[in-house]
Amino acid sequence: MERTYKLLVIDDSQEILVALDKYLQKKKFNVTTAADGLEGLKILKAEEGGFDLVITDLVMPFVSGVGVISILKKEFPNTPVVAITGYGEHPEALALEANADVVMEKPFDLDDLERQVNDLLARAAGS
Amino acid sequence: MRTEIIGVSQNIERIKELINQVADTGLNTLVSGETGVGKELVVQNLYARSNRQGRPFVKVNCAALPDGLLESELFGYEQGAFTGAQRRRRGKFELAHSGVLFLDEIGDMSLPLQSKVLHVLQGGHFSPLGSEKDVRTDTWVVAATNHDLETEMKNGKFRGDLYYRLSTIKIHVAPLRERPEDIPYLIDFYVKEYSQLFKDKKVKKPDNEVMKKLLSYHWPGNVRELQNVLKRIMILGEFEEGIDEMLQPADAPRPGDPLAIAPMVHSELMDYDIGNNIDLKTLSLKKIRKKVLDRVEKEVIAYVLNKTGWNRSKATKILNISYKTLLYKIKDLGIEPPEGVLSDEY
Repeated sequence: MERTYKLLVIDDSQEILVALDKYLQKKKFNVTTAADGLEGLKILKAEEGGFDLVITDLVMPFVSGVGVISILKKEFPNTPVVAITGYGEHPEALALEANADVVMEKPFDLDDLERQVNDLLARAAGS
Repeated sequence: MRTEIIGVSQNIERIKELINQVADTGLNTLVSGETGVGKELVVQNLYARSNRQGRPFVKVNCAALPDGLLESELFGYEQGAFTGAQRRRRGKFELAHSGVLFLDEIGDMSLPLQSKVLHVLQGGHFSPLGSEKDVRTDTWVVAATNHDLETEMKNGKFRGDLYYRLSTIKIHVAPLRERPEDIPYLIDFYVKEYSQLFKDKKVKKPDNEVMKKLLSYHWPGNVRELQNVLKRIMILGEFEEGIDEMLQPADAPRPGDPLAIAPMVHSELMDYDIGNNIDLKTLSLKKIRKKVLDRVEKEVIAYVLNKTGWNRSKATKILNISYKTLLYKIKDLGIEPPEGVLSDEY
């Protein structure tokens, strides 16, 4: 039986969160959502066995996506992260510095996102 | 040092929760909020709960120093780096190594200095003035501001790259008027604290009537104003006669508005006098009252004179005092006219 991957999606935009949740569920992922970085951190810490992949927005109140990635990569260095942003070069550069695996600029194609997610999951499974 | 954050509002609960989650991460943090909301207390709480507690905590007020001086404060200098640099001096980045560097009022920092701070945050090293050697520093940078840095960034007054690097963690402390549910807890806390602090003096606690007024007030000067009003009530015993004067109506000018000079002066005076510089053994309420009144009168009269272009007749009408009294006050309080205004009328 094919494995269902657990994804955590963090974004402070309710519309984007709902759209990503709907799309990724349809693609047979097990999706958990968080409305900001602080909530995302709490879920990350509480989740037994961790997540297979995290998708996070970068510019958010409380804990930024860069903060989430820094903390996550310290504790779970092998968990792949896709950072999504609409705020240009500075947050992007900081996300890569914090070891985000992929940075995607909004607006992006959902099929592209799925491809990136599948690639990263395959790479993580192979390593 | 007390670092407890008081309150039960959603904003304060969120701040406490956030601090619990991130205090040990050492991620750059930006604390924002109006003057007097307690930003420094939040920074100290963060430090006290972090694994850097007990290591250096170095504060720099970026608004208090001119650019050149702030640069040498932050980065230090070598002997002979400039006239007067007789020996090497370590900068705050170096002094805060392994600890916390608290950059207060970061929104007031000039653009050239912002780029130098960014350079340190990017690489973790810097060169003191007059030195070619790199100094490495492992410093947790926590900054605070009462400016809206996102707007300043859009207006080109604050560097975007520095803003995003500083705001990995963002803590916004809401003004007191947006979290009135915290007021009774703050009053209770400070009444206990001041009763303890001034236990040698006979302090009066606010009665029910005063409490009602304090609870329904909008606190434009935030927690600092609340502290000052409580000190005044408890130490100076100004109850019924003073409370309505102390609390400005909701439509009164806000801090920062030039018309808000009187409450601002009062606030500064209370910060200056009570609890910091006063010797409790020689404390005299009469002397304090006189000193406070003199300073408030001086500031207000000088303000009105400047607003009226030193037209004394107009000033007497605004201040509702006689011409003779005004001349006497100008002389007695030592109010100096600006250049070009004749001072021989008194």
